[in-house]
Amino acid sequence: MIRRLSPWSVARALLLGVAALTVTLPLLWVALASFKSPAQLNDPGLVIFNPNLANWARVLEAGILESAGRSAMVAAVTVAISVVAGSMGAYAISAYKAGGSATRFGILAAQVLPPAVLVFPFLTMAYALRLDTTYVPVIFAHLSFVLPVITWFLIGFFDAVPRSLEEQARVDGFSRFAAFRLVVLPQVLPGIGAAAIFGFTLSWNDMFYGLILAPTQETILPVAIAAFNTFRGVELGAMSAAIIIAVVPVVIASFFIQRRLVQGISGGAVKF
Amino acid sequence: MTFRWAMLAPVLTITGVAVGFPLGYALYLSLTDYRLTSRGAPDFVGLENYVFVLTDPRMWNAFSNTAVYVIVAVALQTVLGLAIALALQKQQWARDLTRAMLLAPMFITPIAVGLTFRFLLNDQLGAIPAALRTIGISYDFFGPGNAMITLALIDVWQWTPFMVLLLLAGLESIPRQPLEAARVDGASAWYTFRRVVLPLLTPVLTVAVLLRSLDALKVFEYVYATTRGGPGTETETIQYFTYQTGIQFFRLGEASAVAFVLLAIVMTLIAILFRRLQRSSAR
Repeated sequence: MIRRLSPWSVARALLLGVAALTVTLPLLWVALASFKSPAQLNDPGLVIFNPNLANWARVLEAGILESAGRSAMVAAVTVAISVVAGSMGAYAISAYKAGGSATRFGILAAQVLPPAVLVFPFLTMAYALRLDTTYVPVIFAHLSFVLPVITWFLIGFFDAVPRSLEEQARVDGFSRFAAFRLVVLPQVLPGIGAAAIFGFTLSWNDMFYGLILAPTQETILPVAIAAFNTFRGVELGAMSAAIIIAVVPVVIASFFIQRRLVQGISGGAVKF
Repeated sequence: MTFRWAMLAPVLTITGVAVGFPLGYALYLSLTDYRLTSRGAPDFVGLENYVFVLTDPRMWNAFSNTAVYVIVAVALQTVLGLAIALALQKQQWARDLTRAMLLAPMFITPIAVGLTFRFLLNDQLGAIPAALRTIGISYDFFGPGNAMITLALIDVWQWTPFMVLLLLAGLESIPRQPLEAARVDGASAWYTFRRVVLPLLTPVLTVAVLLRSLDALKVFEYVYATTRGGPGTETETIQYFTYQTGIQFFRLGEASAVAFVLLAIVMTLIAILFRRLQRSSAR
């Protein structure tokens, strides 16, 4: 039996097809460019050519992997702190309505702050405390936007946990904190995982704070990528390779967390 | 009830150190003549910086550029995001793969996205202008009059997925009964969408538009990667202008004042919106 194709389903397939091409083609093009020689790069239409690895050797030599490592370290520390503090705070807000709507408003408001406001105090403090050669200022700067987002996400997950669970645990003789840690927290573990990965990508992707606050000799990844564009003239091939290095891990991560993110958000993160 | 405050304490402490303190310090900076280059204590100058930036046409230029950027980008994202979310919700074949693929751009570092399009849209080396030339169209994406729109389109490429993510979540949490009732009553797809789906989706849509607008206001990387504010000052956004004033010209006092003017405007808009939302959810 042939299924009848309604005009709606054709339009739907067409829309998704065009969207998929719009997403993938630019990235494929950059991937292709990373294997081209400078002469081949002058011909934008060139698809079939002799690939060479000179660009990749060039970015590896420039220390792109070390930069990626530093970015991962900054992101991991930021996320670890955010998850611990954020899950406790989110639970207090969700279950006990701590601080009322003022807290929720405050969390959202922190998202509003232009990084340009916060970055100068961080910079002057970093010098004053002699922390300007460490990653502490960058981590604190990243906490300023990762922590609110993670907390906000987790409020939604905690909202979906029935209150009776905690009450039952209390009856069974758990302290409030033990009830939270041993009974409620495991319920939202998948959500915490998704929020943590999301927070990781936020920190991993930030360039503004890294550009101004990270030690200039030991840059983090986004700044290192930008450097292929600015200080040494435009090295298109090497820049393309660097872009691919930054893109691949997060695209893989996004594959694993997209379903949880949809779940978590429909669980209530987008309600006030 | 001390337990809830004890649980809230870590968040409040970290937020205090990472947000509250810098915010207060920035407020102080905005009232001084602090320059990164000068040693010694800065002088207190009162509202002088504010008067200066509020009468500076370059700041208003940056504000209006940013407004154009935010409105164009977020409007397009909302329409496209809603269409794609509706299509994805019905999609059965290769469901997870399609979703992951279409959501991917929002996870990429913005500087990489900016540089990718700087390369692809480049007048001489770019694949897209080259493709357009073969069908007889010559369009300079970063030329005068076009550059700001191009930046907004880059934003659309990267952040429509965020809209899709939120709206898809919103669609999936819509209760089944009203949809089935509409189907049983023989309502057309369009009618069901207009009268059943859209009203139920409004709260999520509002939050999505709000979050996207707030984030788009902070646009920096695309400008840094592509135009650096040019041609002229056509694509100078607030964040880029603040960066230039503070970091390149070392005038931290003025830069902080610009940031606070922005903050005041944004907070007013949010407070109004928040009131509205609370009133409509109370009903």
